[in-house]
Amino acid sequence: MEIDDLKELIDLLKETDITELQLEKDGTKVRIKRERMLSPMEIQVQKFGGLQEKVISATEEETRLITITSPIVGTFYRAPSPEAAPFVEIGSRVKKGQVLCIVEAMKLMNEIESEIDGAIIKALVENGQPVEYGEPLFLIEPV
Amino acid sequence: MKLFKKILIASRGEIAVRVIRASKELGIRTVAVYSDVEKDSLHVRLADESVCIGPANPTQSYLNIPAILSAAEITDSDAIHPGYGFLSENHHFAEACITSGLTFIGPTPENIRLGGDKAKARQIMKRKGVPVVPGSDGPVTTEEMAMKASKKIGFPVIIKASAGGGGHGMRIVKEEKDLEQALYVAQREALTAFGNSELYVEKYIPEARHIEVQIIADNKGNIIHLHERDCSIQRRHQKLIEESPSPISTSEKFRKKIGELGVKAARAIRYRNVGTVEFIVNHDSNIYFMEMNTRIQVEHPVTEEITGVDIIKEQIKLAAGLPLEYKQAQIKPSGHAIECRINAEDPERFIPSPGKITYLSLPGGPGIRVDTAIYTGYVVPSQYDSLIAKLIVHGKTREEAIAKMLRALDEFIIEGVKTTIPFHKKVLNNPDFIKGDYNTTFVEKINGSVRKEPALSVTTD
Repeated sequence: MEIDDLKELIDLLKETDITELQLEKDGTKVRIKRERMLSPMEIQVQKFGGLQEKVISATEEETRLITITSPIVGTFYRAPSPEAAPFVEIGSRVKKGQVLCIVEAMKLMNEIESEIDGAIIKALVENGQPVEYGEPLFLIEPV
Repeated sequence: MKLFKKILIASRGEIAVRVIRASKELGIRTVAVYSDVEKDSLHVRLADESVCIGPANPTQSYLNIPAILSAAEITDSDAIHPGYGFLSENHHFAEACITSGLTFIGPTPENIRLGGDKAKARQIMKRKGVPVVPGSDGPVTTEEMAMKASKKIGFPVIIKASAGGGGHGMRIVKEEKDLEQALYVAQREALTAFGNSELYVEKYIPEARHIEVQIIADNKGNIIHLHERDCSIQRRHQKLIEESPSPISTSEKFRKKIGELGVKAARAIRYRNVGTVEFIVNHDSNIYFMEMNTRIQVEHPVTEEITGVDIIKEQIKLAAGLPLEYKQAQIKPSGHAIECRINAEDPERFIPSPGKITYLSLPGGPGIRVDTAIYTGYVVPSQYDSLIAKLIVHGKTREEAIAKMLRALDEFIIEGVKTTIPFHKKVLNNPDFIKGDYNTTFVEKINGSVRKEPALSVTTD
């Protein structure tokens, strides 16, 4: 069970009404339980026969982060062209007005700009993914 | 011939639900588009896929052509159904769909353009021998032209906007001396409502009936009619109740005549797909062309009930290039159908009443049909029109249909918002309506007469 797998399970839990999830895979047992909608979640990782118990608390980070959403319907691209480097990387600092990505609609490339100065925490959609109006694209930590 | 694989419905509310239903039955996948306040709408829930296209303001969502075309692109849709209202009669939208490689489920852009140019449409009909309401030859651009035309036609006249509809840019002028002012007001109203101040003049026919003919046509020029609907129960040019056959369609001769005029009018502009020809009929049963509606209409279920033809499915099949499967002789209307448009409005003053539907109970039983997108817990938004349900009944006779409608209206419970159900009950109980003796002034008359009704009197023995 990798950290990425755990992150995916947490996301899955958040997106649905599920309050508790238990999974056994390859000798590892995972139980994720949601106390209340917006409370911290506890993850217990138990190894069979093992003595280790790790509790990871994922706090609701989203309250302090700003979500950049798509103002239009189209296809999301991280870079100006397939061969080019992405406009921004995870962790990179951005300034207000800086281009974060492109949403292509009907052969027109629309540059989506950052509304604030900050650091890119996460990209919420995949490169080439269709997006709708209001779709969350990036999480930015304001500075 | 294969129909479409995926249809995007560029509309909302009950018509979007209607189109989704027809598409599903034809094995076609559906895409709903919605504004950000309509995420829980029934049309979004019923469609296979959905795309949020913008905020609540229709200009930024349901009227937003690039957003809608982009939604079609990202969902890989191959056709768009425009519903009614919004972009359904916007020929630029129809053209843009075609340019983007999508099939527009409706008539040609040229049909739409012409349908929207009411002065021009009249001229063409006149030339092709379809009787039109006496009026100006095309638009009137100066006061002199308007005066000359009005004198020729004879007062009273009605000023109308070429680009118009829904009562905007319309003024009735009873005498010569009122013409100048009426022209200015109508012009301003037309400019504000449609961005086009062009006006034309028609003879005003008081106490007329508004009777329209449903048309369907394929790409090969085969055009048939599905008979008429009487839509005279209107308030401020908004239809409230429709029925088929028209109560004045008592002779086979009249039915045939008006149906054939509808086909003639459609043929005059080489109409394709589904549409409606609107006529005005005076008290001598003279039939005059008024305008062409180049889209599916709200009241289409009335015709579906008496003919058994699923008009939306036909629209889809015809748009896919299939030939018309019906011949005129095969259309045999049966029985009588009435539709009541139930709006979220105060039943006496018709002021919109948006809000949450706290309880809903639909009527049922034989011959009852409800086309709606509301459900218990649904919030009727304030940004869109107030139609929340269509109650359609079908009976063997008009008497039976009226009895069914009254029974169904009694069973229909909608709580949380005000509705016009009480108004419909009033109409259906009205002696003149029951006799079939009504025209476009009916609603005005019965609303006015409410205050004249005597209070309950108490007698003592």
